[in-house]
Amino acid sequence: MIEINGKEIGDLSELSSEKIKSDLLTLNMGPQHPATHGVLRVEIKTDSEIIAEAKPYIGYLHRCFEKHAESVDYRGVIPFVDRMDYLGAMAMEWGYVQAVERMLGTEVPRRAEYIRTIVAELQRIASHLLFYGVYAIDLGAFSPFLYAFDEREKILRLFEELSGARLLYNYIWIGGVWNDITDEQLRRIKKFVDNLEEEVKTFHNLVGENKIFIERTANVGVVSEEMAYQYGATGAVLRGSGVEWDLRKKKPYGIYEELDFNVPVGKGEKGQLGDCWDRYHVRVQEIFESIKIVRQCLEGIEEGSIMGKVPKVLKVPEGEIYVRTECPRGELGYHLVSDGGKTPYRLKVKSSCFTHVSMLPEMAPGQMVADFVASIGSIDIVLGEVDR
Amino acid sequence: MLNDIASFLNNQVSGCEATAHTPEVGDGNVTVKGEHLHACAKALKESSEYDMNVLQVVSGVDFEDRIEVNYMLASFTKNTEFILKVKLPKKSSDDVPEVDSVCDLWKAANFLERETYDMVGVKFNNHPDHRRILCPDDWEGYPLRRDYKVQKEWAGLEVNPAHKVNSADHNFFKDVIEKMGGDQKKVTYSWKSDAEA
Amino acid sequence: MSGLTPDISDFASKDNLIAQDDLTFGKWLKNIWTAVRTCFNGMVITGKVILSRKPVTIEYPEVREELPSNSRSRLFNDVDNCIACLQCAAACPVDCIYITATRRDKEAPKLKTDDGTPIKLDLKQYTIDTALCCYCGLCTTVCPTECLTHTTDYEFAQYTLGEMKYDYLAEDIRAWKHRIVKA
Repeated sequence: MIEINGKEIGDLSELSSEKIKSDLLTLNMGPQHPATHGVLRVEIKTDSEIIAEAKPYIGYLHRCFEKHAESVDYRGVIPFVDRMDYLGAMAMEWGYVQAVERMLGTEVPRRAEYIRTIVAELQRIASHLLFYGVYAIDLGAFSPFLYAFDEREKILRLFEELSGARLLYNYIWIGGVWNDITDEQLRRIKKFVDNLEEEVKTFHNLVGENKIFIERTANVGVVSEEMAYQYGATGAVLRGSGVEWDLRKKKPYGIYEELDFNVPVGKGEKGQLGDCWDRYHVRVQEIFESIKIVRQCLEGIEEGSIMGKVPKVLKVPEGEIYVRTECPRGELGYHLVSDGGKTPYRLKVKSSCFTHVSMLPEMAPGQMVADFVASIGSIDIVLGEVDR
Repeated sequence: MLNDIASFLNNQVSGCEATAHTPEVGDGNVTVKGEHLHACAKALKESSEYDMNVLQVVSGVDFEDRIEVNYMLASFTKNTEFILKVKLPKKSSDDVPEVDSVCDLWKAANFLERETYDMVGVKFNNHPDHRRILCPDDWEGYPLRRDYKVQKEWAGLEVNPAHKVNSADHNFFKDVIEKMGGDQKKVTYSWKSDAEA
Repeated sequence: MSGLTPDISDFASKDNLIAQDDLTFGKWLKNIWTAVRTCFNGMVITGKVILSRKPVTIEYPEVREELPSNSRSRLFNDVDNCIACLQCAAACPVDCIYITATRRDKEAPKLKTDDGTPIKLDLKQYTIDTALCCYCGLCTTVCPTECLTHTTDYEFAQYTLGEMKYDYLAEDIRAWKHRIVKA
């Protein structure tokens, strides 16, 4: 017992954590912070280096594209959906286009489906390569970023030749795709993916097997299976927690049914199941699976037209539809409500990044600030998609 | 499947009046009464038959007389999904209808319901952190309502002041019509803004 | 003495609390060995790249990259071929194209575009606010006479927003027609 001025104030060991919590330091991480991948602000309360509470504040990049979509015609929405996830724009387009096509009942030509699959998988590779580079930067390694960008640049160059733009393509159209792919480009893709397989193995050796990297990511930011379900996590975050869930397998769309590929899941190799390293590893393995898919598409691609029959003035019948697709960052859902007019009545986007951001308050407590940076990086958010 | 879910809900939750709706185009839904939403969601989540363990998205749609809130539920164990819908009547355009929050069932609902409140204007009772999320806290109105109007003035500032609007190009056709002697039929123009024209 | 030094268990949920094995001397040595080995592996990879890979960057103002022929960059409208059908303005998702045209007199000499479409309207205004444009390319695809095209010009930064507005009827912009060759 300790006495001060004759008064008992109790044992030191009984000083509860409540007492300490009243002395927390509030720290604003972001919106201009290199580790928050855009304009995410996280208000964290720290006890020296340990985070007690984290509150994400989003909306700094909010453009309310859902409201825009209500005033432009169905084709004009595609440039807007590009601008959500600007690192995976092809996948964004494909989801929206599918929603409209299913409402219209449009038949998409086989060649267009093949081209769509090729570009979507290349986009997934590009997005995961960027994740690989940026995640290494988050954890203090610079050169992997340059290697990854070198490879990603080749994909962007190809997309530029195909669609005319580097990031915001407006390439996948309702009924098909804009431009046809040439044989020369197909040969180039083949050469590129052959080369990429070796490169990614080297990349993984450089970063993923590195002891420093493992120490920084293993057992950090653990997302259990139950927590992933609770928060509706999808994509690599869910698969990193050991759940074999991939829409391309579970609810196949396009031509994924005919393709042979595996769904990589986290196994908790370096630490606990569902930690940052597992999520990283799932993404790296997904690059290999994407390469496999692209190879099969290159072999199986059929001749034919690239545009289905779509009326010039699009009028979608009255009704509603909810379409999900598997995007680089997780599941993307479009809830399209139509009143039979030329413009969507309501277009609601389910963004996987948005749900992943909502996991941060539960992931953060008890982490070091530096580990929190690793956690944010590992869920791979794009603020354009969070805020929309 | 929707009919099964509707009869299941009618059995489990008395008075919820679950009805299945399967249209020709697009997805169907199961509509329940607003006050029984929480009980229905709980029954669906806890039933071993349906096991709706994931709430994917909460999507509010504004109509003239009502606001529909759609809960896209999915079961990742059974690989099923469907839309659970509540129709909340809206008396006037400023009316903010209320519905019970499902935050205690799915933690994902926290952010999703906040977004629905922010954008469409639906109050979720028993929500742990009921604030705006995408718009600033002092925003007025609900942007995704169909009758939402941009304020003329906000916090003492004029919104879209005249000198910032590109009126020279928007209204070029007016000068041309004047020069043509006021004959509107002779002039075609692309800019048809209802505020300016 | 919990409470004086920060303790993870005060804040963490149970998922974040991971029991770590005790560090023995053997493990400590093994840790150091793996750290040195994996870092050395990384250095070998970096060394190979330093020695073998040629630079992939270009020295920008001196060396200029040529964009692929269907790159979507600065818009150009050949007003001599434009029939003022307003389709581009209707397709534009951001409403940045302003067109005004008057009906052509019946007595005036008949005009035709290069592909033979008769011109029935006199163009009075054809302005694109490039600062608003999102370069989506929807306007060029609906153009019936293919007079509105994207060029591969990519250096057109300006000091003021007003300069980003292109009046395609102005003489200096008309002159681009002979400068820009679109493949």
